[in-house]
Amino acid sequence: MGLQGAIESSVEPWLCYYCGDCSKTCPRDANPGELMMSMRRYLTSKYDWTGLSKKFYTSEIWELAWIIVFATLVIFSFMFVLPAFGYHFTRELTPEGGVKVNAFAPIAIIEAFDWIMAAVVASLLISNILRMYYKIVWKNSATTVSVWVHVREFWRLLYNFAVQPKFSKCDDKRYWISHWFLMSGYTIMFIVIVVFLPWFQTEEILPVWDPQRWLGYYATFGLLFGLGVAILGRLKKTDIKFRFSHISDWLFLVMLTLTVITGILIHIFRISGMPLATYISYIAHMAVLVPMILIEVPFSKWSHLAYRPFAVYFTQLLKNANSKNPG
Amino acid sequence: MNENSPIGVFFYDIPGVGTDQVDYTALCSFVSRFSEVKKVWRYSNLPWNESIIRNCLVENGFERIIIAGSIPGTIKSLFTKVMALSGKDPGSVELVSFSKYGIHSVKESERAEALMHCAIKDIPFEIAAMPGEAQVNPATLIIGAGIAGIQASLEIANSNALVYLLEKSGTIGGKMATFDKTFPTLDCAACILTPKMVEVNQHSNIRLLTCSEVKSVSGGPGNYSVTITQHARRVNVRTCIGCGTCAEKCPAQAPSEFDSATTMRKAIYMPFPQAVPNKYMVDASTCLYLKNGKCKACVKACPVPGCINLDEQDTEINIIVGNIIVATGYKPFDAKRMPQYGYGKYPNVLTSLEFERLLNASGPTGGNIHLRSMDKKGNPIFNTEAEKPERVAIIHCVGSRDKNFNKYCSRVCCMYSLKFAHLVLDKLPDAEVYEYFIDMRAFGKGYEEFYERIREEGIVMIRGKTAMVEEIDGKLQLRGEDILENRLHERTVDMVILSTGLEPSDDTRILADILGIHLSEGGWLEEANYTTDPTGTFKGGIYLAGTCQGPRDIPDSVAQGSAAAARVIQNIIRGSVTNGLTEITTAQIEKNLQELFPVH
Repeated sequence: MGLQGAIESSVEPWLCYYCGDCSKTCPRDANPGELMMSMRRYLTSKYDWTGLSKKFYTSEIWELAWIIVFATLVIFSFMFVLPAFGYHFTRELTPEGGVKVNAFAPIAIIEAFDWIMAAVVASLLISNILRMYYKIVWKNSATTVSVWVHVREFWRLLYNFAVQPKFSKCDDKRYWISHWFLMSGYTIMFIVIVVFLPWFQTEEILPVWDPQRWLGYYATFGLLFGLGVAILGRLKKTDIKFRFSHISDWLFLVMLTLTVITGILIHIFRISGMPLATYISYIAHMAVLVPMILIEVPFSKWSHLAYRPFAVYFTQLLKNANSKNPG
Repeated sequence: MNENSPIGVFFYDIPGVGTDQVDYTALCSFVSRFSEVKKVWRYSNLPWNESIIRNCLVENGFERIIIAGSIPGTIKSLFTKVMALSGKDPGSVELVSFSKYGIHSVKESERAEALMHCAIKDIPFEIAAMPGEAQVNPATLIIGAGIAGIQASLEIANSNALVYLLEKSGTIGGKMATFDKTFPTLDCAACILTPKMVEVNQHSNIRLLTCSEVKSVSGGPGNYSVTITQHARRVNVRTCIGCGTCAEKCPAQAPSEFDSATTMRKAIYMPFPQAVPNKYMVDASTCLYLKNGKCKACVKACPVPGCINLDEQDTEINIIVGNIIVATGYKPFDAKRMPQYGYGKYPNVLTSLEFERLLNASGPTGGNIHLRSMDKKGNPIFNTEAEKPERVAIIHCVGSRDKNFNKYCSRVCCMYSLKFAHLVLDKLPDAEVYEYFIDMRAFGKGYEEFYERIREEGIVMIRGKTAMVEEIDGKLQLRGEDILENRLHERTVDMVILSTGLEPSDDTRILADILGIHLSEGGWLEEANYTTDPTGTFKGGIYLAGTCQGPRDIPDSVAQGSAAAARVIQNIIRGSVTNGLTEITTAQIEKNLQELFPVH
């Protein structure tokens, strides 16, 4: 209908958190909630300039193939590349009886790799957000939005990322709560792993009350709780918001769950002094985590972590730009 | 007709269509017995497609194809095409529609077999299945004494035949008696209806059976034996003088059914002042004597000795009738099923029947529109001291045209909503009235003109389904979308009227089972043929009138009441009734076929 531009410049899909009330009360089974969900997938593919997002969304084989490629690379690196540089698997235990993780997964290298991966993902995501900004704000502003307004309204972005106040306005608060736990758990884990890896990946077994341990436990709980609600919901399909699952929804949930489970296993095996099991779960953890981050964050479902709060921020910028000349 | 022309039979047994519970497996083996039938397919037995049909056609050299199923017409074009492409006569694709002949379940499998038999032999079913005749008893039972039942009973009684008019409640008149005005003429409903009610009461050919229900029916067309339960009224209809002294003394109260619970009535009460019979009755569930064994204030107050008998029991009577007309009407959609509109939660969200009573001069406020408030117990009450609304919103299609509730259009809501809008402005000229509609269905004589007239009165029409109603600071806020202006809207009003749709009355299914007739989609009673036999059923001597068959307005119900009566009168004058399709057996059809076409 020639309205592609209108869709691409709209923020509304990102302001919808899919409580499903619209689909529940629709007299015609038109399912507007699922339409918004499809719209978000479409917009994700449109913000992405590489064209990979569209590929991942439309071809399951393509997506699975890339997951396997990245996973294989990770496994290969641990099995052959790192040993070549002298980092070997060892049966030797620490004096406390813990596994020597850093012997085969040296912090400095893993940390450097984390930073590289974060930089790649961030640059892709930021370039997509700039495209989103161009489509939504730049093209539709009646007046130029001053730098000061950008700075002044920036708090909205952080606030919406951290609290998701829009989601909390849905009638059913349960999903906001479970989603918030998932989000906070994930965010904590991400920051800890990328920024504070030397503090987090220790061979020493710290006391239970140490922040390193309870932060990790909280994040694990948050992730598992959020994932549990989403997975059970999608399996039961009693609620309309969970009735229609795209392959990308399932891949995301399954990969994140596997990451969490392997993460828990590393922890258990490490403190109980089981070197081989720790080693295998570490590789498995990385083999799921790396493709998940590289594919899901910039190109697929996970990109909503950035697009949603940015949409609120952009809405405010637009309001500022267009309020000055009414009509 | 070439006897051995090969036939292909295709069963279009598409699952989930209508009430399709036909035993197709049995039908397949039935048709395979015929030597003409070379091939039997089933839609659900994949694979099948154009090329498979075509190959099969070439192999077997079919001359005719029969497509049978609930809705066989949808697949016909494919077969026509295949026949034409194979150089056969595309006109020799025949349809056998099961739903057309009321075949929905295994119960009618014999009729389905008969239909297939006729189709294979290429004989019109109507000719082969010429049903027999039965002698008719001249008495008629009419179930339901709303406007359709009243009309039908007067038509028959005026032809000098006996009518038993059965009514579940204590008075005749039905829903129409509760209406204030009728559209589009804005006649006073009571002024048109009450003369007919009185006529029924005084007619020497009408036996009125109020507080009664059909318990069982036996016998066949022309000679139905009907057992009727007469619920205890506890007031003698013959001796009650209708003075009302009993109700004055009665200490127990309950919401008035007639006033849609907007007023209270006593446990001993007359449904409304013009009720027919104009006598009192006792509500057993409210009466203190019947609940606790103590009171009898009414018995002491009654000036007629022995008129009130609180210990009266239900009785059963048996009558023999030749014809039965079902006119059981409808019940309004329960607006509480749509919590987004807040009915039952906010006092000023009203249903249409409540608003009818509010408008009526004999209603809770004497016909003045006042806002409703909650009393101490949390029950909504009207009082004449309350303020009048300044803004009134009317929401259409509540419970209708909605896949979550009823898919069908209730037909009357658009028009009565327009009537409401007019009456609000009539009583409150300064009020603002908003109509929230999806489509405006003004389909009858003078209806479109009525719509135009109401629009010119300055009513705001907003197209789009209202999403929700919320009470904010004592006012009602509506949210929804205006699809004509392509924007979301919020509007604050004082009163919201929900145009609730129509649903089949309770117990329609039970009655259908007792009578041996069918229900169609939505739970309405099924007519023999919507277009050509809208009053008949598949059972001989049983006819339908009014909203029990589907939503319709008063003029249509009256017309159908007369039409059903015409069918009955026809049977009475002729002295016999034509059996319905349900009374035909395959054996009888075989016999008919032998007589009609001796070559078989």
